[in-house]
Amino acid sequence: MDTAFVFPGMGPSRFPEVGRFMVGNPIARRLLRRADEVLGYSVVDRFADADTDYDEAAQVAFLVNCLALAEWAQQHLDEVPAVCTGASFGQKTVAGYTGALSFEDTVLLTARLARVLDDYFRTEHTDIVTQSFVRVPDDRLEPVLAELTARGEWYEFACHLDAGFHMVNLRQSAVDWFVTRLRSVGGLPLYAMRPPMHSSLFTGLHATVRDEILPEFTFADPAVPIVSDQTGELLTTADQVRTLVLDGFVRPVRWPDAVATLRDRSVGKVLVVGQDAMFGRVECVVRSFEVVAVNPRLAMQPRRQPVPAGR
Amino acid sequence: MTDPQFEEILRGHLPFLPADEPLTPDTNLTDHGLDSLGIVDLLTALEGQYGVAFVDDALTRETFETVGSLWSVLDGLRPAAV
Repeated sequence: MDTAFVFPGMGPSRFPEVGRFMVGNPIARRLLRRADEVLGYSVVDRFADADTDYDEAAQVAFLVNCLALAEWAQQHLDEVPAVCTGASFGQKTVAGYTGALSFEDTVLLTARLARVLDDYFRTEHTDIVTQSFVRVPDDRLEPVLAELTARGEWYEFACHLDAGFHMVNLRQSAVDWFVTRLRSVGGLPLYAMRPPMHSSLFTGLHATVRDEILPEFTFADPAVPIVSDQTGELLTTADQVRTLVLDGFVRPVRWPDAVATLRDRSVGKVLVVGQDAMFGRVECVVRSFEVVAVNPRLAMQPRRQPVPAGR
Repeated sequence: MTDPQFEEILRGHLPFLPADEPLTPDTNLTDHGLDSLGIVDLLTALEGQYGVAFVDDALTRETFETVGSLWSVLDGLRPAAV
């Protein structure tokens, strides 16, 4: 059975949770030095001072931590993936890990995209949020969404995570009604995220990234095949990876499709590489694979030194 | 205040709670490792154990703040003893 590396989407991540890893792990320190050179500022210092969850430095820190943990897993767990995937933000990480982008370019692209997103959502779609919720199977969700439409509201799926577990884009003004209605059918609303993500409405953002950002970056064929989190397809060329990163702005994540492809590829073990509270923990993943959470906590645990031969 | 099954189920969902640390009504659940997907698992376990269904206001964030707030909601969902 093969091993897959899964690079998670980014959740709220604060410096106190990962700071010890960033300053104490030699791989992370080395990669952070390279990131600092690319960006011209200290990622650690700026991340420590960040006042929002998705600050540019927080995004770069998340990226670098994931890539450092992947290298750590290869060294200390002796794991090499036969296939990789990345969910949402993890699309950038997997591009960097597989060599579709150089480390320096992955860092620079992450920072550039963070700035573009900030600028775009400061003036565009200011009333849209991404609401996540769980415990709402389709037969209960469909009537709720039908009522939402009947109220004259727009919605669109941003992310399918698992059976009964989704993210939906909708107007902020409809959120109170929506979450109350979800609770009435036993659903558990989680977070209303701003900026929103993955919507066909964000064509302006898509065009800016396509025309002004991506032409500055050269993609290569990935060294390891990548499973698309949007379609479940296997990606093996530079252009496919570039399209994956670009289309992530306007296409929903279909995580169960990516998981199904991993299953079809005879993957038996999944290493979820990075801080994750979601993508590696949903039922469709934990039911299908042996899951190892490769996070800063694991990497900072004291490890037994190998005993020299002959003793 | 609570019952042994509740405490046993809850402890199983609080990965950062030392085994020898007592649960009190003020014990904060998030601080002891209960996150979003942990809440989902916990709900399933409590619903199975007590034969109740968490809906409506029982599913707000306040329910899962402390041991006391969760027990209070759960106790309110249980059929009254006769």
